[in-house]
Amino acid sequence: MNQVLLCVPALLPLAGGMGLLCFGLFGRQAERDRREKGLFWYAAIITLANSLVLWWLIFRTGEGERFVLFRLYGELKVMFCLDKMGKVFAGMISVLWPLAVLYSFEYMKGEKRNVTFFSYYLMTYGVTAGIALSGNLMTLYLFYELLTLATFPLVLFPMTKEARRASRRYLYYSIGGAAFAFLGLVFVLTFSSTGNTVFLPGGILDLGKANARKNTLLFIYLLAFFGFGVKAVVFPCHRWLPLATVAPTPVTALLHAVAVVKSGAFAILRLTYFSFGTAFLRGSWAQWAVMAAAMATILYGSTMAVREAHWKRRLAYSTISNLSYILMASAMMSPLGLAAALCHMVAHAFMKICSFFCAGAVMHQTGKTYIYELDGLGRRMPVTFGCLTVASLSLIGIPVFAGFISKWSIAGAAFHCGMESLESFGKWGVLPFAAVAVLLYSALMTAMYMLTVVIRGYFPGRESTSRKALPSVSGTDLSEGQREEQPGGQDGNLDPGWNMLLPLVVFAVVILVLGLHSQPLTKLLTVIGGEAA
Amino acid sequence: MRLGWEYELAGFCGLGLHLKLDGFRLIYVGIAALMWAVSGIFSTEYMAHYKSKASYYCFFWITFFATIGVFLSADLYTTFIFFEMMSFTSFVWVIFDGTRESVRAAKTYLSVAVIGGLVMLMGLLLLQDLCGTLMMEELKEAAQRAVQEGEKARLYAAGACLLFGFGAKAGCFPLHIWLPKAHPVAPAPASALLSGILTKTGVFGIIVISCQIFGDDSWWGLLITGLGLVTMFLGALLAMFSINLKRTLACSSVSQIGFILTGVGMYSMLAAAGENPVLAARGAFLHMVNHSFFKLTLFLCAGAVFMNLHQLDLNEIRGFGRRKPVLAFCFAMGALGISGVPLWSGYASKTLLHESIVEYGHLAAKGLAPLKGIGGAPLFWIGAEWIFLLTGGMTVSYMLKLFIAVFIERHPFRQEEFDKQRASMSPVSALALLIPAVLIPFMGCTPAWTMDYLAQMGQTFFGLREMEHKVHYFALENLKGGGISIGLGVLLYCFVIRRYLMREITSDHPHATSGQEDKAMEKEYVDRWPGFLDLEDRIYRPLLLTFLPGVWGALCSWLDRYLIPAAVSVFLAVSSLICRAMDHLSDSIIVLARYTTHRPLQEKRVHIPSAREERFRNRERAVFRLGYLVEESFSFGLMLFCLGLCLTLGYLLYEFFRF
Repeated sequence: MNQVLLCVPALLPLAGGMGLLCFGLFGRQAERDRREKGLFWYAAIITLANSLVLWWLIFRTGEGERFVLFRLYGELKVMFCLDKMGKVFAGMISVLWPLAVLYSFEYMKGEKRNVTFFSYYLMTYGVTAGIALSGNLMTLYLFYELLTLATFPLVLFPMTKEARRASRRYLYYSIGGAAFAFLGLVFVLTFSSTGNTVFLPGGILDLGKANARKNTLLFIYLLAFFGFGVKAVVFPCHRWLPLATVAPTPVTALLHAVAVVKSGAFAILRLTYFSFGTAFLRGSWAQWAVMAAAMATILYGSTMAVREAHWKRRLAYSTISNLSYILMASAMMSPLGLAAALCHMVAHAFMKICSFFCAGAVMHQTGKTYIYELDGLGRRMPVTFGCLTVASLSLIGIPVFAGFISKWSIAGAAFHCGMESLESFGKWGVLPFAAVAVLLYSALMTAMYMLTVVIRGYFPGRESTSRKALPSVSGTDLSEGQREEQPGGQDGNLDPGWNMLLPLVVFAVVILVLGLHSQPLTKLLTVIGGEAA
Repeated sequence: MRLGWEYELAGFCGLGLHLKLDGFRLIYVGIAALMWAVSGIFSTEYMAHYKSKASYYCFFWITFFATIGVFLSADLYTTFIFFEMMSFTSFVWVIFDGTRESVRAAKTYLSVAVIGGLVMLMGLLLLQDLCGTLMMEELKEAAQRAVQEGEKARLYAAGACLLFGFGAKAGCFPLHIWLPKAHPVAPAPASALLSGILTKTGVFGIIVISCQIFGDDSWWGLLITGLGLVTMFLGALLAMFSINLKRTLACSSVSQIGFILTGVGMYSMLAAAGENPVLAARGAFLHMVNHSFFKLTLFLCAGAVFMNLHQLDLNEIRGFGRRKPVLAFCFAMGALGISGVPLWSGYASKTLLHESIVEYGHLAAKGLAPLKGIGGAPLFWIGAEWIFLLTGGMTVSYMLKLFIAVFIERHPFRQEEFDKQRASMSPVSALALLIPAVLIPFMGCTPAWTMDYLAQMGQTFFGLREMEHKVHYFALENLKGGGISIGLGVLLYCFVIRRYLMREITSDHPHATSGQEDKAMEKEYVDRWPGFLDLEDRIYRPLLLTFLPGVWGALCSWLDRYLIPAAVSVFLAVSSLICRAMDHLSDSIIVLARYTTHRPLQEKRVHIPSAREERFRNRERAVFRLGYLVEESFSFGLMLFCLGLCLTLGYLLYEFFRF
């Protein structure tokens, strides 16, 4: 295979987006409106082509195929490669992006600055693909920084006061976090046994050298964890996400529930399992610190989600807690842990993008953004709420949906890790068991914050009429009126058009399929876990 | 009787599904099919006036499928998957009416189901980690192995989690709260299924863990027996106090589940004492079967009442059943069965349960019980027996209360209206309702034939083979127990319900046809249950809705609001302090220099510029001003650019001509 192809998925959308930005902004407003159709085809073709290339790469790339784009300095190369874990991430985004673009075309119809929106949307695709394809920590870091820059204009897009505030906060947090991540990069390079920062399963630290400075390195790991954790919304670095929901829904759904936050989590997985290595970290205080941070985040996120009345912000809090499921599983530092983390990464991507798109569909069709406004909408938007129900049940972790599989594997990994830790590392081994309790609490809260929306949608709760009305013996005549399910005058389907519904339905189906037939995915993930830890 | 049918769907839903059919499962699948058929037929009339019938039937049949799945499951993972499906689809039944009360009740039901399911999931994970398997047949050995390895505590933890999960569905004591709330608001066919068979799925799970994992564990047996006794007594107490037809039946379900649990617990106790626990196992199993039929009959009768009146309050519906023989017959069959009257099927199963308690009581009296302390004390078992008999009496009393209220008493002012309406339901519904109603006395009259046969099929599931001697159901000893219960029940009805739970109406109802009623008619039922004893409103709801999110949420939002800003302001304060200090450092060097080396001159020379100097200075100023203007102008930039271009050109020319 031609290894040059490895850099295509990263560079094609980047170039496409930049081209769009350069040439799309010329001309008068009327002329630009006329070009909207062309814009659609342009974005759709680039996205689809990129996804196809990604899938081709996923099937055809063998182990150890690498492509060095250029050399920064010495051993610092920008290098692409696609290993199994990268394939999982790449496969995930390559499915989500075309559907999200399809969705955003209806959602963004009539916006004035669509060119800006789609150019940055495309660029973000390239950057995220770059993260999936990066072959060493250096490249990952480069794309991680680029991700901030590419998504910043999207948060700013509504140009309101809140958007300005949100984007500024997003920028501060991301850039600050990246600085910490950079520290990690430097130390990995210094203590590396290969002389560079390439990702190898099991890590690349020179254990002899590293153990001499164990505490320093562990501290640096912690810093880098929180650095990348800014994008993965770990507890003290999470405050940008709820604010960032001011962005248009396609952005919140794809970027702030999947691409950006998952990139953070993916970077942490790379850092933990492919750079530092679990052999070095397992049983250390850094592991417990990281696990505790993830647990605190889960508690925090799920509790705040229950208290939040704004639908998209509630989902954002839910993202915070769910991202920490991934981090908590990865903090188990075991093969099972990595497999569970990746499993939840994939499952959560579909569940959360589906719920966000449902919220977006409701916002787009009715303009309602608060949960108490949703009374009785379930019967008027049957498809939307059907998909939302699937996503909600899956988020709670109900069997036959994807969320159950991932939650089962996370809890399994926690129990396994707890058993081993209790034997080897003494009293800190209790922490993984506490993680299971946290999972339980969070699932309960998830049920509260997701199902209240669904129940409100379907069953707004009307006054009982049977008490007031004088009972009639014959039954039939009065009960016609009594048994009316919904107040009159509210009929009429409000479901959005096909290009918003199709992604929703596809996601719901994927959630079901992943839940019913998860064997292929879990097998692959077990292999990844086995290799890396 | 052995049936060998097993099916495995590997890899489906994660770990794969294992289904199996044996005697117990066959009977329960059969009962489920019968119950769904009867209530399905009944639904066609009951639901006729509802709007979204399609969704009701959709969830009705999905739940059927899931329930069958639970009863066929051969491993606990499969059980769990179908169990959760069942919980969520049956939730729609409860909320189906869409009124405020039903939404509230449905939320209660859902939260109990979700919490129960989650805790059960944890138990499953623990168990799998401990035993390495979830197959019901392999659990016994695996559990024994775990005990030998000294993992008893963890095994108990797993068992407790599973008990919580299954107990929540079964309606076991502290988690029974959903039953009295959900049943009155759900459609009657759905209530019948919820109470008749969905609670049995919980019992099914408890039987699996009790018989397979803790088959010979006295402490476990004592726990289950204790829970069973508490549940049966409190359920019956609630039922006596309730004045709502379906609520009474729901509380009665809680109580009957208590009977079944007592049997399950006695199984473990007897097995641990080295006895053959077949009495307890058969009693529990037969009572499960019987209770399914009772509740199917009774709830459908209640449905027939509700269908016509849209009321369930005993004061409103009293007298409705007069002159409606079919309805009265069906209700009477259910009531007699559930009260444990001889010749009706409830009597047989209650006798077996009673026998098992007595058997253990004898053991304890002889000092053969393996448990020391309270569990082995003979007095405890005598107490247990009396609670059992008393609860049987309470069952009789609340069934009497219902029957007398609906079928014997007269309504103060609507009786004529009621009497005019001869048929309470369509003939098809009546036929469907008659099936379980006839089965109850049929089974009760021929216990040695029908009931023993069923028990024989079912007991393989408990891991038992044969019974040593046949039970003489109608022996004097056994009849005595039944007689005591019935006697107690009549006494309770006369002295507690008529005296304490009813009151005289003081003011005349405007519609009342005065003078015609006898004295009893001027009494009405009152709900004297103290409101502060409501577990749900007093403990669970505040805990779940206020306390947990409140405390955590307050903590979280406090952290959210202050943690990061505090960190940032501390950082800014510290860094500005450092900067200020460094600033002062450089200042201090200057100050120091001024005092030492660069001391300013003391006398200042005053310089007076000459005229030439003045002119020169003015010229200089003008030049500077021009310079500023030029530098800041665009043309200056262009000029510099041109200069640069010229230089480049020159350089290029130079390069060109050099070679």
